[in-house]
Amino acid sequence: MVVEQIGASTIATVAETGQFARFIWRSLKSSVSSLFRGKTWPLVFTQMLIIGVKSVPVIMVTGAFVGMTLAFQAYDQLAGMGLGEHIGILINLSVVSELGPVLSAVMLSGRVGGALTAELGTMHVTEQIDAISSMGTDPVRYLVAPRILACLLLTPVLIVYADLMGSFGGYAISVWFFKINSQAYWQFTAYGVTLWDVMVGLTKGFFFGAAIAAISCYKGFNCKQGAQGVGQACTEGFVVSFIAILALDFAAAIISKSLYSIFYPIRSLI
Amino acid sequence: MAEIDKDSGIIITKDLTKIFNGKAVLEKLSVAIEKGKTTVVIGPSGCGKTVFIKHLIALLRPTAGEIYFKGQRIDDLHERDLGKIRMQMGFLFQGGALFDSATVYENILFPVRQHTNIADRRQLDEIVKSKLAVVGLDGYQSYYPANLSGGQKKRVALARAIALNPEVVFYDEPTTGLDPVRSDVINELILKLKKELGITSIVVTHDMTSAYKISDRIIMLHKGRILADGDAEYIKNHPNDTVRQFILGQVSEADLAALRVSGTKFASQFNPKDFEQ
Repeated sequence: MVVEQIGASTIATVAETGQFARFIWRSLKSSVSSLFRGKTWPLVFTQMLIIGVKSVPVIMVTGAFVGMTLAFQAYDQLAGMGLGEHIGILINLSVVSELGPVLSAVMLSGRVGGALTAELGTMHVTEQIDAISSMGTDPVRYLVAPRILACLLLTPVLIVYADLMGSFGGYAISVWFFKINSQAYWQFTAYGVTLWDVMVGLTKGFFFGAAIAAISCYKGFNCKQGAQGVGQACTEGFVVSFIAILALDFAAAIISKSLYSIFYPIRSLI
Repeated sequence: MAEIDKDSGIIITKDLTKIFNGKAVLEKLSVAIEKGKTTVVIGPSGCGKTVFIKHLIALLRPTAGEIYFKGQRIDDLHERDLGKIRMQMGFLFQGGALFDSATVYENILFPVRQHTNIADRRQLDEIVKSKLAVVGLDGYQSYYPANLSGGQKKRVALARAIALNPEVVFYDEPTTGLDPVRSDVINELILKLKKELGITSIVVTHDMTSAYKISDRIIMLHKGRILADGDAEYIKNHPNDTVRQFILGQVSEADLAALRVSGTKFASQFNPKDFEQ
Protein backbone atom coordinates (compact mmCIF):
# COMPACT_ATOMS: atom_id res chain seq x y z
CA MET A 1 0.00 0.00 0.00
CA VAL A 2 2.77 2.39 0.98
CA VAL A 3 4.86 1.32 -2.01
CA GLU A 4 1.85 1.98 -4.23
CA GLN A 5 1.49 5.48 -2.82
CA ILE A 6 5.17 6.30 -3.14
CA GLY A 7 5.13 4.95 -6.69
CA ALA A 8 2.04 6.93 -7.60
CA SER A 9 3.35 10.19 -6.19
CA THR A 10 6.74 9.69 -7.88
CA ILE A 11 5.04 9.16 -11.22
CA ALA A 12 2.87 12.23 -10.62
CA THR A 13 5.92 14.35 -9.74
CA VAL A 14 7.82 13.26 -12.84
CA ALA A 15 4.76 13.90 -15.02
CA GLU A 16 4.35 17.36 -13.50
CA THR A 17 8.03 18.16 -14.05
CA GLY A 18 7.70 17.08 -17.67
CA GLN A 19 4.61 19.20 -18.19
CA PHE A 20 6.36 22.17 -16.60
CA ALA A 21 9.45 21.67 -18.76
CA ARG A 22 7.30 21.64 -21.91
CA PHE A 23 5.53 24.80 -20.76
CA ILE A 24 8.86 26.56 -20.13
CA TRP A 25 10.16 25.52 -23.55
CA ARG A 26 7.01 26.78 -25.24
CA SER A 27 7.13 30.06 -23.27
CA LEU A 28 10.79 30.70 -24.00
CA LYS A 29 10.28 30.00 -27.70
CA SER A 30 7.34 32.44 -27.75
CA SER A 31 9.29 35.03 -25.77
CA VAL A 32 12.24 34.93 -28.14
CA SER A 33 10.03 35.15 -31.24
CA SER A 34 8.02 37.94 -29.59
CA LEU A 35 11.18 40.00 -29.26
CA PHE A 36 11.19 40.33 -33.02
CA ARG A 37 7.49 40.95 -33.58
CA GLY A 38 6.45 44.56 -33.28
CA LYS A 39 2.87 43.65 -32.48
CA THR A 40 3.65 42.17 -29.06
CA TRP A 41 5.70 45.09 -27.71
CA PRO A 42 2.66 47.10 -26.47
CA LEU A 43 1.71 44.05 -24.37
CA VAL A 44 5.25 43.84 -23.01
CA PHE A 45 5.29 47.54 -22.12
CA THR A 46 1.99 47.21 -20.24
CA GLN A 47 3.43 44.35 -18.22
CA MET A 48 6.63 46.29 -17.62
CA LEU A 49 4.59 49.08 -16.08
CA ILE A 50 2.71 46.71 -13.79
CA ILE A 51 5.62 44.46 -12.89
CA GLY A 52 8.52 46.88 -12.92
CA VAL A 53 7.57 50.48 -12.45
CA LYS A 54 5.03 49.82 -9.74
CA SER A 55 7.43 47.59 -7.80
CA VAL A 56 10.16 50.22 -7.46
CA PRO A 57 8.99 51.74 -4.13
CA VAL A 58 8.63 48.41 -2.38
CA ILE A 59 11.97 47.16 -3.71
CA MET A 60 13.69 50.31 -2.49
CA VAL A 61 12.22 49.83 0.97
CA THR A 62 13.39 46.20 0.97
CA GLY A 63 16.90 47.22 0.00
CA ALA A 64 17.05 49.99 2.59
CA PHE A 65 16.03 47.72 5.45
CA VAL A 66 18.48 45.03 4.37
CA GLY A 67 21.37 47.47 4.37
CA MET A 68 20.44 49.07 7.68
CA THR A 69 19.89 45.80 9.53
CA LEU A 70 23.13 44.33 8.23
CA ALA A 71 25.07 47.41 9.32
CA PHE A 72 23.51 47.30 12.76
CA GLN A 73 24.23 43.63 13.35
CA ALA A 74 27.72 43.60 11.85
CA TYR A 75 29.11 46.63 13.63
CA ASP A 76 29.55 45.03 17.07
CA GLN A 77 31.39 42.02 15.65
CA LEU A 78 33.76 44.09 13.53
CA ALA A 79 34.35 46.86 16.04
CA GLY A 80 35.21 44.21 18.66
CA MET A 81 38.02 43.00 16.36
CA GLY A 82 39.14 46.54 15.62
CA LEU A 83 37.94 46.20 12.04
CA GLY A 84 35.09 48.72 12.30
CA GLU A 85 36.14 50.56 9.19
CA HIS A 86 35.96 47.40 7.09
CA ILE A 87 32.22 47.40 7.56
CA GLY A 88 31.92 48.97 4.12
CA ILE A 89 33.11 45.85 2.32
CA LEU A 90 30.90 43.57 4.35
CA ILE A 91 27.72 45.50 3.77
CA ASN A 92 28.21 46.40 0.14
CA LEU A 93 29.55 43.03 -0.95
CA SER A 94 26.70 41.20 0.80
CA VAL A 95 24.08 43.52 -0.61
CA VAL A 96 25.38 43.56 -4.16
CA SER A 97 26.15 39.90 -4.60
CA GLU A 98 23.56 38.11 -2.45
CA LEU A 99 21.06 40.03 -0.36
CA GLY A 100 20.04 42.55 -2.97
CA PRO A 101 19.28 40.05 -5.75
CA VAL A 102 17.77 37.31 -3.60
CA LEU A 103 15.56 39.45 -1.38
CA SER A 104 14.38 41.56 -4.32
CA ALA A 105 13.50 38.38 -6.16
CA VAL A 106 11.57 37.06 -3.15
CA MET A 107 9.72 40.37 -2.82
CA LEU A 108 8.86 40.25 -6.52
CA SER A 109 7.80 36.63 -6.24
CA GLY A 110 5.32 37.58 -3.55
CA ARG A 111 4.08 40.73 -5.19
CA VAL A 112 4.22 39.97 -8.91
CA GLY A 113 4.15 36.18 -8.81
CA GLY A 114 1.01 36.05 -6.72
CA ALA A 115 -0.74 38.57 -8.96
CA LEU A 116 0.23 36.69 -12.15
CA THR A 117 -0.98 33.35 -10.80
CA ALA A 118 -4.25 34.85 -9.58
CA GLU A 119 -4.90 36.70 -12.83
CA LEU A 120 -4.11 33.79 -15.14
CA GLY A 121 -5.74 31.29 -12.78
CA THR A 122 -9.00 33.25 -12.79
CA MET A 123 -8.83 33.49 -16.58
CA HIS A 124 -8.34 29.72 -16.70
CA VAL A 125 -11.33 28.88 -14.50
CA THR A 126 -13.62 31.27 -16.41
CA GLU A 127 -12.53 29.67 -19.73
CA GLN A 128 -11.00 32.91 -21.02
CA ILE A 129 -7.77 31.07 -21.91
CA ASP A 130 -9.78 28.47 -23.85
CA ALA A 131 -11.56 31.39 -25.53
CA ILE A 132 -8.23 32.82 -26.69
CA SER A 133 -7.27 29.40 -28.13
CA SER A 134 -10.67 29.03 -29.79
CA MET A 135 -10.13 32.33 -31.61
CA GLY A 136 -6.94 31.01 -33.18
CA THR A 137 -4.42 32.80 -30.96
CA ASP A 138 -1.76 31.02 -28.91
CA PRO A 139 -2.47 31.96 -25.25
CA VAL A 140 1.16 31.33 -24.31
CA ARG A 141 2.33 33.84 -26.90
CA TYR A 142 -0.38 36.36 -25.99
CA LEU A 143 -0.37 36.11 -22.20
CA VAL A 144 2.77 34.39 -20.96
CA ALA A 145 5.52 35.68 -23.27
CA PRO A 146 4.96 39.41 -22.48
CA ARG A 147 4.99 38.66 -18.75
CA ILE A 148 8.16 36.60 -18.91
CA LEU A 149 9.90 39.22 -21.05
CA ALA A 150 8.88 42.03 -18.72
CA CYS A 151 9.99 40.14 -15.60
CA LEU A 152 13.23 38.96 -17.18
CA LEU A 153 14.26 42.40 -18.40
CA LEU A 154 13.20 44.41 -15.37
CA THR A 155 14.35 42.27 -12.46
CA PRO A 156 18.01 43.31 -12.94
CA VAL A 157 16.92 46.96 -13.08
CA LEU A 158 14.97 46.54 -9.85
CA ILE A 159 18.01 44.87 -8.29
CA VAL A 160 19.98 48.02 -9.10
CA TYR A 161 17.46 50.02 -7.08
CA ALA A 162 17.67 47.53 -4.21
CA ASP A 163 21.48 47.58 -4.24
CA LEU A 164 21.48 51.36 -4.25
CA MET A 165 19.16 51.65 -1.27
CA GLY A 166 20.96 48.83 0.56
CA SER A 167 24.24 50.60 0.10
CA PHE A 168 22.79 53.90 1.22
CA GLY A 169 21.02 52.32 4.21
CA GLY A 170 24.25 50.66 5.30
CA TYR A 171 26.12 53.96 4.88
CA ALA A 172 23.52 55.83 6.89
CA ILE A 173 23.75 53.48 9.86
CA SER A 174 27.54 53.03 9.74
CA VAL A 175 28.59 56.62 9.21
CA TRP A 176 25.80 58.68 10.77
CA PHE A 177 24.93 56.36 13.63
CA PHE A 178 28.12 54.50 14.46
CA LYS A 179 30.37 57.36 13.41
CA ILE A 180 32.65 55.34 11.14
CA ASN A 181 34.92 57.50 9.06
CA SER A 182 33.18 58.12 5.74
CA GLN A 183 36.29 58.15 3.57
CA ALA A 184 37.55 54.92 5.09
CA TYR A 185 34.12 53.37 4.56
CA TRP A 186 34.10 54.04 0.82
CA GLN A 187 37.81 53.26 0.33
CA PHE A 188 37.44 49.82 1.79
CA THR A 189 34.25 49.32 -0.24
CA ALA A 190 36.00 50.25 -3.48
CA TYR A 191 38.80 47.87 -2.64
CA GLY A 192 36.56 44.89 -1.96
CA VAL A 193 33.58 45.28 -4.23
CA THR A 194 34.40 44.88 -7.91
CA LEU A 195 32.36 45.24 -11.10
CA TRP A 196 32.36 41.47 -11.33
CA ASP A 197 30.38 41.20 -8.07
CA VAL A 198 27.80 43.72 -9.26
CA MET A 199 27.44 42.03 -12.64
CA VAL A 200 27.01 38.58 -11.11
CA GLY A 201 24.23 40.00 -8.97
CA LEU A 202 22.49 41.55 -11.96
CA THR A 203 22.88 38.46 -14.14
CA LYS A 204 21.28 36.39 -11.42
CA GLY A 205 18.39 38.80 -11.71
CA PHE A 206 17.67 37.67 -15.29
CA PHE A 207 17.29 34.09 -14.18
CA PHE A 208 15.31 34.94 -11.07
CA GLY A 209 12.90 37.06 -13.10
CA ALA A 210 12.39 34.38 -15.73
CA ALA A 211 11.86 31.72 -13.04
CA ILE A 212 9.31 33.79 -11.12
CA ALA A 213 7.28 34.59 -14.24
CA ALA A 214 7.44 31.08 -15.71
CA ILE A 215 6.46 29.34 -12.48
CA SER A 216 3.66 31.79 -11.68
CA CYS A 217 2.22 31.62 -15.20
CA TYR A 218 2.42 27.82 -15.25
CA LYS A 219 0.58 27.57 -11.94
CA GLY A 220 -2.10 29.93 -13.22
CA PHE A 221 -2.61 28.02 -16.47
CA ASN A 222 -2.94 24.71 -14.67
CA CYS A 223 -4.86 25.54 -11.52
CA LYS A 224 -7.82 23.50 -10.40
CA GLN A 225 -11.37 24.79 -10.71
CA GLY A 226 -12.94 27.29 -8.36
CA ALA A 227 -11.72 29.91 -5.94
CA GLN A 228 -9.95 27.29 -3.87
CA GLY A 229 -8.04 26.12 -6.94
CA VAL A 230 -6.80 29.63 -7.67
CA GLY A 231 -5.79 30.20 -4.05
CA GLN A 232 -3.94 26.91 -3.87
CA ALA A 233 -2.14 27.70 -7.13
CA CYS A 234 -1.00 31.08 -5.75
CA THR A 235 0.41 29.48 -2.62
CA GLU A 236 2.17 26.72 -4.53
CA GLY A 237 3.45 29.24 -7.05
CA PHE A 238 5.06 31.37 -4.37
CA VAL A 239 6.62 28.42 -2.55
CA VAL A 240 8.05 26.88 -5.71
CA SER A 241 9.33 30.29 -6.94
CA PHE A 242 11.04 30.87 -3.61
CA ILE A 243 12.77 27.48 -3.66
CA ALA A 244 13.73 28.01 -7.30
CA ILE A 245 15.28 31.38 -6.43
CA LEU A 246 17.35 29.84 -3.64
CA ALA A 247 18.42 26.92 -5.84
CA LEU A 248 19.36 29.23 -8.73
CA ASP A 249 21.27 31.44 -6.30
CA PHE A 250 23.28 28.47 -5.09
CA ALA A 251 23.99 27.35 -8.66
CA ALA A 252 25.01 30.90 -9.56
CA ALA A 253 27.41 31.02 -6.61
CA ILE A 254 29.15 27.84 -7.77
CA ILE A 255 29.25 28.90 -11.42
CA SER A 256 30.48 32.44 -10.74
CA LYS A 257 33.23 31.20 -8.43
CA SER A 258 34.43 28.72 -11.06
CA LEU A 259 34.32 31.32 -13.81
CA TYR A 260 36.17 33.80 -11.62
CA SER A 261 38.98 31.38 -10.86
CA ILE A 262 39.29 30.55 -14.55
CA PHE A 263 39.43 34.15 -15.69
CA TYR A 264 41.24 35.74 -12.70
CA PRO A 265 44.76 34.85 -13.88
CA ILE A 266 44.13 36.39 -17.30
CA ARG A 267 42.31 39.46 -15.92
CA SER A 268 45.15 41.79 -16.71
CA LEU A 269 45.11 40.72 -20.33
CA ILE A 270 41.41 41.57 -20.87
CA MET B 1 -35.37 8.96 -39.56
CA ALA B 2 -33.36 11.21 -41.86
CA GLU B 3 -30.57 9.37 -43.65
CA ILE B 4 -27.22 10.91 -42.86
CA ASP B 5 -24.34 10.28 -45.20
CA LYS B 6 -21.50 9.28 -42.91
CA ASP B 7 -18.83 10.48 -45.26
CA SER B 8 -20.00 13.96 -46.06
CA GLY B 9 -20.34 16.75 -43.60
CA ILE B 10 -18.46 19.84 -42.63
CA ILE B 11 -17.21 18.15 -39.45
CA ILE B 12 -16.83 14.40 -39.21
CA THR B 13 -15.73 12.32 -36.24
CA LYS B 14 -14.68 8.67 -36.63
CA ASP B 15 -14.72 6.45 -33.53
CA LEU B 16 -13.98 9.40 -31.26
CA THR B 17 -12.95 8.09 -27.85
CA LYS B 18 -11.85 10.07 -24.80
CA ILE B 19 -10.71 8.52 -21.55
CA PHE B 20 -10.18 10.60 -18.38
CA ASN B 21 -8.52 8.77 -15.47
CA GLY B 22 -9.46 5.36 -16.76
CA LYS B 23 -13.08 6.33 -17.32
CA ALA B 24 -14.36 6.50 -20.90
CA VAL B 25 -16.23 9.80 -21.24
CA LEU B 26 -16.76 9.35 -24.99
CA GLU B 27 -16.85 5.95 -26.64
CA LYS B 28 -16.41 5.42 -30.39
CA LEU B 29 -18.56 8.35 -31.47
CA SER B 30 -18.96 8.58 -35.22
CA VAL B 31 -20.91 11.62 -36.34
CA ALA B 32 -21.11 13.69 -39.54
CA ILE B 33 -22.28 17.26 -38.95
CA GLU B 34 -24.13 18.71 -41.95
CA LYS B 35 -23.16 22.09 -43.34
CA GLY B 36 -25.63 24.92 -42.98
CA LYS B 37 -27.79 23.07 -40.47
CA THR B 38 -28.22 23.33 -36.71
CA THR B 39 -27.28 20.18 -34.81
CA VAL B 40 -28.27 20.02 -31.15
CA VAL B 41 -26.52 17.66 -28.72
CA ILE B 42 -28.57 16.81 -25.65
CA GLY B 43 -27.98 14.53 -22.71
CA PRO B 44 -27.81 14.33 -18.93
CA SER B 45 -25.19 16.36 -17.05
CA GLY B 46 -21.81 14.67 -17.16
CA CYS B 47 -22.57 12.59 -20.27
CA GLY B 48 -19.72 14.19 -22.19
CA LYS B 49 -21.55 16.85 -24.27
CA THR B 50 -19.09 19.65 -23.49
CA VAL B 51 -16.12 17.28 -23.87
CA PHE B 52 -17.50 16.29 -27.29
CA ILE B 53 -17.95 19.83 -28.53
CA LYS B 54 -14.48 20.85 -27.31
CA HIS B 55 -13.00 18.04 -29.40
CA LEU B 56 -14.57 19.52 -32.55
CA ILE B 57 -12.56 22.72 -32.13
CA ALA B 58 -9.51 20.76 -30.91
CA LEU B 59 -9.45 22.31 -27.43
CA LEU B 60 -9.22 18.69 -26.31
CA ARG B 61 -7.45 15.88 -28.13
CA PRO B 62 -9.00 12.41 -28.43
CA THR B 63 -7.52 9.33 -26.79
CA ALA B 64 -8.46 7.49 -30.01
CA GLY B 65 -10.34 8.24 -33.20
CA GLU B 66 -10.18 10.98 -35.81
CA ILE B 67 -11.81 14.35 -36.37
CA TYR B 68 -12.07 16.00 -39.78
CA PHE B 69 -12.97 19.59 -40.61
CA LYS B 70 -13.81 20.10 -44.29
CA GLY B 71 -11.98 16.92 -45.13
CA GLN B 72 -8.80 17.88 -43.25
CA ARG B 73 -7.79 15.93 -40.16
CA ILE B 74 -7.54 18.30 -37.18
CA ASP B 75 -7.08 16.17 -34.07
CA ASP B 76 -3.35 15.67 -34.69
CA LEU B 77 -2.54 19.17 -35.93
CA HIS B 78 0.00 21.32 -34.13
CA GLU B 79 -1.42 24.34 -32.26
CA ARG B 80 0.23 26.68 -34.72
CA ASP B 81 -1.61 25.13 -37.68
CA LEU B 82 -4.89 25.01 -35.82
CA GLY B 83 -4.96 28.81 -35.77
CA LYS B 84 -6.07 28.96 -39.41
CA ILE B 85 -8.72 26.29 -38.87
CA ARG B 86 -10.08 28.04 -35.78
CA MET B 87 -10.49 31.30 -37.68
CA GLN B 88 -13.36 29.59 -39.49
CA MET B 89 -14.99 28.62 -36.22
CA GLY B 90 -16.58 30.49 -33.35
CA PHE B 91 -17.15 29.17 -29.84
CA LEU B 92 -19.66 30.56 -27.37
CA PHE B 93 -18.60 29.42 -23.89
CA GLN B 94 -21.09 28.71 -21.15
CA GLY B 95 -20.25 31.81 -19.10
CA GLY B 96 -19.36 33.91 -22.12
CA ALA B 97 -15.63 33.96 -21.23
CA LEU B 98 -15.33 37.67 -22.03
CA PHE B 99 -12.08 39.37 -21.02
CA ASP B 100 -12.92 41.22 -17.78
CA SER B 101 -10.33 43.94 -18.09
CA ALA B 102 -11.40 44.96 -21.61
CA THR B 103 -14.48 46.80 -22.84
CA VAL B 104 -17.09 45.20 -25.11
CA TYR B 105 -15.42 47.05 -28.01
CA GLU B 106 -11.97 45.62 -27.19
CA ASN B 107 -13.42 42.15 -26.67
CA ILE B 108 -15.06 42.02 -30.08
CA LEU B 109 -11.99 43.44 -31.81
CA PHE B 110 -9.65 40.86 -30.25
CA PRO B 111 -9.89 38.27 -33.05
CA VAL B 112 -9.92 41.03 -35.67
CA ARG B 113 -6.70 42.56 -34.34
CA GLN B 114 -5.02 39.18 -33.98
CA HIS B 115 -5.75 37.91 -37.49
CA THR B 116 -6.17 40.92 -39.77
CA ASN B 117 -4.11 44.00 -40.48
CA ILE B 118 -7.03 46.40 -40.38
CA ALA B 119 -5.81 49.52 -38.63
CA ASP B 120 -8.32 52.10 -39.82
CA ARG B 121 -10.27 53.21 -36.77
CA ARG B 122 -13.51 53.83 -38.69
CA GLN B 123 -13.39 50.40 -40.28
CA LEU B 124 -12.87 48.80 -36.88
CA ASP B 125 -15.74 50.81 -35.41
CA GLU B 126 -17.95 49.61 -38.29
CA ILE B 127 -17.09 45.98 -37.64
CA VAL B 128 -17.90 46.24 -33.93
CA LYS B 129 -21.09 48.15 -34.64
CA SER B 130 -22.32 45.61 -37.18
CA LYS B 131 -21.55 42.60 -34.96
CA LEU B 132 -23.27 44.21 -31.97
CA ALA B 133 -26.24 45.09 -34.20
CA VAL B 134 -26.64 41.41 -35.13
CA VAL B 135 -27.06 40.55 -31.45
CA GLY B 136 -29.08 43.67 -30.70
CA LEU B 137 -26.57 45.39 -28.45
CA ASP B 138 -25.33 48.31 -30.55
CA GLY B 139 -24.45 51.16 -28.23
CA TYR B 140 -22.83 49.01 -25.55
CA GLN B 141 -19.30 49.41 -26.95
CA SER B 142 -17.80 51.07 -23.91
CA TYR B 143 -19.34 48.81 -21.26
CA TYR B 144 -17.20 46.44 -19.21
CA PRO B 145 -18.37 42.81 -18.85
CA ALA B 146 -18.86 43.32 -15.12
CA ASN B 147 -21.60 45.84 -15.90
CA LEU B 148 -23.55 43.52 -18.18
CA SER B 149 -26.28 41.07 -17.24
CA GLY B 150 -25.84 37.34 -17.89
CA GLY B 151 -27.88 37.47 -21.08
CA GLN B 152 -26.02 40.51 -22.36
CA LYS B 153 -22.67 38.85 -21.67
CA LYS B 154 -23.69 35.85 -23.77
CA ARG B 155 -24.83 38.08 -26.60
CA VAL B 156 -21.57 40.04 -26.58
CA ALA B 157 -19.67 36.74 -26.48
CA LEU B 158 -21.69 35.63 -29.51
CA ALA B 159 -20.82 38.88 -31.31
CA ARG B 160 -17.15 38.17 -30.56
CA ALA B 161 -17.49 34.58 -31.80
CA ILE B 162 -18.83 35.77 -35.18
CA ALA B 163 -16.38 38.69 -35.53
CA LEU B 164 -14.40 36.95 -38.27
CA ASN B 165 -17.52 35.64 -40.07
CA PRO B 166 -16.94 31.98 -39.26
CA GLU B 167 -18.67 29.12 -41.05
CA VAL B 168 -19.29 27.10 -37.90
CA VAL B 169 -20.33 28.28 -34.44
CA PHE B 170 -20.34 26.07 -31.35
CA TYR B 171 -22.63 26.92 -28.42
CA ASP B 172 -21.99 25.45 -24.97
CA GLU B 173 -25.32 25.61 -23.10
CA PRO B 174 -26.29 29.04 -24.45
CA THR B 175 -29.57 29.35 -22.58
CA THR B 176 -28.51 27.95 -19.20
CA GLY B 177 -29.11 30.46 -16.44
CA LEU B 178 -31.28 32.75 -18.57
CA ASP B 179 -34.95 33.51 -18.05
CA PRO B 180 -37.43 32.15 -20.67
CA VAL B 181 -37.61 35.42 -22.60
CA ARG B 182 -33.82 35.89 -22.79
CA SER B 183 -33.50 32.21 -23.72
CA ASP B 184 -35.83 32.83 -26.64
CA VAL B 185 -33.70 35.80 -27.71
CA ILE B 186 -30.71 33.45 -27.97
CA ASN B 187 -32.85 30.89 -29.87
CA GLU B 188 -33.91 33.58 -32.33
CA LEU B 189 -30.29 34.68 -32.77
CA ILE B 190 -29.18 31.12 -33.58
CA LEU B 191 -31.99 30.81 -36.14
CA LYS B 192 -31.13 34.24 -37.58
CA LEU B 193 -27.46 33.36 -38.02
CA LYS B 194 -28.44 30.21 -39.91
CA LYS B 195 -30.95 31.96 -42.13
CA GLU B 196 -29.03 35.15 -42.91
CA LEU B 197 -25.43 34.01 -42.82
CA GLY B 198 -25.72 30.27 -43.54
CA ILE B 199 -23.79 29.43 -40.39
CA THR B 200 -23.57 25.79 -39.30
CA SER B 201 -24.42 25.62 -35.60
CA ILE B 202 -23.65 22.91 -33.09
CA VAL B 203 -25.47 23.51 -29.83
CA VAL B 204 -25.01 21.64 -26.56
CA THR B 205 -27.99 22.10 -24.28
CA HIS B 206 -30.44 20.47 -21.96
CA ASP B 207 -33.16 23.03 -22.64
CA MET B 208 -35.63 20.93 -24.65
CA THR B 209 -37.79 23.90 -25.69
CA SER B 210 -34.73 25.50 -27.21
CA ALA B 211 -33.68 22.21 -28.80
CA TYR B 212 -37.03 21.67 -30.55
CA LYS B 213 -37.15 25.27 -31.77
CA ILE B 214 -33.72 25.59 -33.30
CA SER B 215 -32.70 22.11 -34.34
CA ASP B 216 -32.57 20.43 -37.70
CA ARG B 217 -31.12 17.38 -36.01
CA ILE B 218 -30.94 16.25 -32.37
CA ILE B 219 -28.32 13.84 -31.06
CA MET B 220 -28.71 12.45 -27.55
CA LEU B 221 -25.60 11.30 -25.74
CA HIS B 222 -25.79 8.93 -22.80
CA LYS B 223 -22.74 7.53 -20.99
CA GLY B 224 -20.48 8.52 -23.88
CA ARG B 225 -22.49 6.88 -26.67
CA ILE B 226 -25.17 8.08 -29.07
CA LEU B 227 -28.55 6.91 -27.80
CA ALA B 228 -30.76 8.72 -30.33
CA ASP B 229 -30.14 10.66 -33.53
CA GLY B 230 -32.79 12.30 -35.67
CA ASP B 231 -34.96 15.36 -36.17
CA ALA B 232 -37.23 16.85 -33.50
CA GLU B 233 -40.28 14.73 -34.45
CA TYR B 234 -38.27 11.51 -34.29
CA ILE B 235 -36.86 12.34 -30.86
CA LYS B 236 -40.28 13.31 -29.45
CA ASN B 237 -41.63 9.88 -30.40
CA HIS B 238 -38.55 7.86 -29.55
CA PRO B 239 -39.35 4.45 -27.99
CA ASN B 240 -36.35 4.27 -25.62
CA ASP B 241 -37.25 4.88 -21.95
CA THR B 242 -34.11 6.83 -21.08
CA VAL B 243 -34.71 9.20 -23.98
CA ARG B 244 -38.38 9.72 -23.07
CA GLN B 245 -37.54 10.37 -19.42
CA PHE B 246 -34.91 12.91 -20.37
CA ILE B 247 -37.03 14.87 -22.82
CA LEU B 248 -40.04 14.87 -20.50
CA GLY B 249 -37.94 15.69 -17.45
CA GLN B 250 -38.99 12.73 -15.30
CA VAL B 251 -37.01 10.95 -12.63
CA SER B 252 -36.83 7.16 -13.09
CA GLU B 253 -38.49 4.83 -10.55
CA ALA B 254 -35.15 3.51 -9.34
CA ASP B 255 -33.82 7.01 -8.55
CA LEU B 256 -37.15 7.98 -6.93
CA ALA B 257 -36.94 4.99 -4.58
CA ALA B 258 -33.47 6.07 -3.53
CA LEU B 259 -34.80 9.53 -2.64
CA ARG B 260 -37.39 8.26 -0.20
CA VAL B 261 -36.66 8.53 3.52
CA SER B 262 -36.62 5.17 5.30
CA GLY B 263 -40.12 3.93 6.09
CA THR B 264 -43.12 5.08 4.06
CA LYS B 265 -42.70 7.87 1.59
CA PHE B 266 -44.82 10.11 3.77
CA ALA B 267 -42.81 9.71 6.98
CA SER B 268 -41.81 13.09 8.32
CA GLN B 269 -38.82 13.75 10.53
CA PHE B 270 -40.44 16.14 12.94
CA ASN B 271 -43.69 15.88 14.87
CA PRO B 272 -45.84 18.92 15.68
CA LYS B 273 -45.24 18.41 19.38
CA ASP B 274 -41.48 18.85 18.84
CA PHE B 275 -42.15 22.55 18.28
CA GLU B 276 -44.24 23.14 21.41
CA GLN B 277 -42.62 25.36 24.02
